[in-house]
Amino acid sequence: MEEKPVSPVLKVLAAFGFLFLLAPVLIVVPLSFSNDVFMSFPPSGYSLRWYIAIGANAKLLDAFLFSVKLASLVTVVNILIAVPASYALIRKAPFGADAIMSLLTAPLLLPTIVLGLALLIVMARAGYLATPQGIFLAHLVVTLPYALRVIATALSTLPIAVEEAAATLGASPLSVFFRITLPMLMPGIVAAAALSFLVSFDEVVLSLFMNGPKVTTLPVELYHHVESRADPLVAAASVLLVVFTLAVVIIVDRSLGLAKTFVK
Amino acid sequence: MTASATHAALPEAPKLDGRALIVMLLLPITAVNLIGFILPVVNLAMISFMEVRSTGAMTGNWSFAKWQLVVTDPFYWELLWNSVRTSLTITLLTLLVSYPVALYLHRSSGMWRSILLVMVISPLLLSAVVRTYGWIAILSDRGLINNGLMALGFDGPLRLMFNLTGVVIGLTEILMPYMILALLAGFGKLDSRVEEAAATLGASPFRVFWRVVLPLSLPGIALGSLLTFVLAVSSFITPKLLGGGRVFLLATEVYDQAIVTLDWPLAATLSIIVLVVFGVALTIYSRVLKSLG
Amino acid sequence: MIHHASTATNIAAPLGNEAKPGHGFLSLQGLSKRYSEFVAVDAVDLDVNQGEFVSLLGPSGCGKTTTLRMIAGLVQASGGRIVVAGRDLTAIPPFRRDMGLVFQSYALFPHMSVAGNIAFGLEMRGLSRSEISNRVTEAIALVRLEGRENRRPSELSGGQQQRVALARALVIRPSILLLDEPLSNLDAKLRDEMRTEIRDIQRRLGTTAIFVTHDQDEALTMSDRVVVMNHGRIEQTGTPEDLYERPRTPFVASFVGRTNRFSGTALGRSVKLGDTLVHSATEANGPADVMIRPHRITISTGSAAASGGQNTLSGIVRRMTYAGNLLQYDVLAGDLTFQVEEATLGSGRALAPGTTVTLSWSAQDTLVFEAKP
Repeated sequence: MEEKPVSPVLKVLAAFGFLFLLAPVLIVVPLSFSNDVFMSFPPSGYSLRWYIAIGANAKLLDAFLFSVKLASLVTVVNILIAVPASYALIRKAPFGADAIMSLLTAPLLLPTIVLGLALLIVMARAGYLATPQGIFLAHLVVTLPYALRVIATALSTLPIAVEEAAATLGASPLSVFFRITLPMLMPGIVAAAALSFLVSFDEVVLSLFMNGPKVTTLPVELYHHVESRADPLVAAASVLLVVFTLAVVIIVDRSLGLAKTFVK
Repeated sequence: MTASATHAALPEAPKLDGRALIVMLLLPITAVNLIGFILPVVNLAMISFMEVRSTGAMTGNWSFAKWQLVVTDPFYWELLWNSVRTSLTITLLTLLVSYPVALYLHRSSGMWRSILLVMVISPLLLSAVVRTYGWIAILSDRGLINNGLMALGFDGPLRLMFNLTGVVIGLTEILMPYMILALLAGFGKLDSRVEEAAATLGASPFRVFWRVVLPLSLPGIALGSLLTFVLAVSSFITPKLLGGGRVFLLATEVYDQAIVTLDWPLAATLSIIVLVVFGVALTIYSRVLKSLG
Repeated sequence: MIHHASTATNIAAPLGNEAKPGHGFLSLQGLSKRYSEFVAVDAVDLDVNQGEFVSLLGPSGCGKTTTLRMIAGLVQASGGRIVVAGRDLTAIPPFRRDMGLVFQSYALFPHMSVAGNIAFGLEMRGLSRSEISNRVTEAIALVRLEGRENRRPSELSGGQQQRVALARALVIRPSILLLDEPLSNLDAKLRDEMRTEIRDIQRRLGTTAIFVTHDQDEALTMSDRVVVMNHGRIEQTGTPEDLYERPRTPFVASFVGRTNRFSGTALGRSVKLGDTLVHSATEANGPADVMIRPHRITISTGSAAASGGQNTLSGIVRRMTYAGNLLQYDVLAGDLTFQVEEATLGSGRALAPGTTVTLSWSAQDTLVFEAKP
């Protein structure tokens, strides 16, 4: 396609837009190396003190570990639930499959503040408020629709003839699923897993409603920290978070690329 | 080569009725949906009609007290108006800042386009807390802007946060990716040949934009505005942190009533009002979309 | 040679459970597939002998693929029976039917190597590793893919993928080899090669084969017998020569081979086409469809006298098309336009447009079908 000349006015406006969009992320990097006790930008001096401070902050480290564990468990359970459900809805296409799909993805449409409150009330009554179980269920509810969407879409694009070929060659439905469908579905599963993990890991609103003294996620801990104090600690934590998120994305991209070349 | 030799070797599969299988496969996800979504939401709607003692405990009786309070107390009307007005402002600003970005992205191509697209999407992968924190570093009394202004000789800090200004700036940025992606989806229909055709007919670049590009991107604008508005009405992390407890919006009030005051029926009532605002926005959106054809 | 289209071959088969003894190795008895609003396959009866190569030929939507998929077990029949070697397979799921199916899209397993694809069916049968390895090697040699055992399907050309699909279906030594338009994704030259290759392999192994195609050339050149289908029914079953020379319905006559088609009125052993009276060899009366194969008409510049049982018309060449091995003419004779084909016999024979010519053909070559009331 021929390159279209872009007017300089548009270039300037777009550049401003990008700068505005990336400003809060970009500013955090130099701030994290601040040597000041309080937040001030630009910093009066640079050091690694806030990174060291994170290492000494048990609350933050515990919250990070809890978040990783929670997101991992949520991801695994998501996949275990979403794959069979997608299979039933796409391959078995029962009556009303579209309606069931809409209902199952409906939690995405509800604002998390409303869902958070709704869950808070039932969990409190059931005695699961501020428990790992409660926060786990909350995360499951908001991440499952993503996993279902991604996996169902991936499954619906798989050529069904390949599965039929396996059946004619003597593979029982179970063998077809494990030997053919599942391996071909792998890129979709990896994508769904990544999305589940990142959504769970970054989730703040539901966690704020469900958290408790011993059950707190990293975003919640950061939120409380920002709310109560203005120091560069969160900047250092943010940089580490960005690096962590990037690492997840790169790993997924690699394994997705791998899975794609594998299946193509 | 006859078949008889291989017939016997084919495995016998366990027989499972098709319908039973479907039910089995859908059982876990349905359970999660039921317990974690339907039940809580239905319960929430019911709670807003519950009677509360002054201690905050619910009596178990039905009551319209909270609805009555919300409808008669001007504070809640102001809260609603504040929320809607702020969200509309944010939506408009987000549209203005995002449109050039989206148009530029639409016109770029190849590697450069991919890089720009990653730059647009990647903030979505970052917690709102982190991005809001970045804005604090820019807007606070000793942040980038105020330190910069003071270095230029201005007196005293400009109050850019702990007020509505900060909330609007922060949310505008936080919601930009959604707007940009919606606009990009809308630009899909924008064929550069149409623009070229208009240009060859003698239209100036500005007229081409005003008469061709903008009208064709209206569906994208409508979708992006709906998304941004709805997300602005229901977000509370950024308003809490950048508003510093001085900005009162529907969503922050829901949280405060639920967590601080522990008045669940009131929180439930307010959150249903959030949903009503959603419904109104969605209705207006579908009307607009219909009038656009 | 007069037949109503509806009385072609399929005498309405009893749909009940009355088990007719199957004559063939594969026997379809009143096989039907009804969807809520339409009948895809309508009471098809067919017997196929062991080792026979039978094509299902018809336009898209005629039910040929659905019939094949019912034989494979991928589509549940709504009525009738599928019997193979005396065993009723109608209710048997596909994975226990022991059929080899070659798909139009090949449907190779993208995540397995060539060898893995071919071994799959054998693994499902729980064969020993050495047995599998032997048979895979044998199958790879059969389709001449030696040296490509470890490639992925995506690394193969279309023709090679086709061979893998064929080997994968054959290696399990299926009772019947089913082929669903396997050549339609190949380019013309490769398609010709694969026709011969598939037929050779099938003959060598003695496998019974059902071949679905919409391409009459493929059906005629490859098959022992061809089944022409239309609207879910069998129009005619016969050898390629039967179908071409003795079509029993106007549909078969026009679908198989090129033809001149006219509407007229039959009067005993002649037909009135507009102002022209044409002789035929069959008795018919009333409104009728008349077909004459273009290559059965002789074109000459002389004015040959009409002989008994011979049709002679005088006309003018309107258009001449040189098609390599053929010369194709459009000739206007009275108010009728005839297409005429003549083998190219050396250069300089082509007749220029405007030439006055005589067309002649024998009465046997006038195919007359009484129009359906």
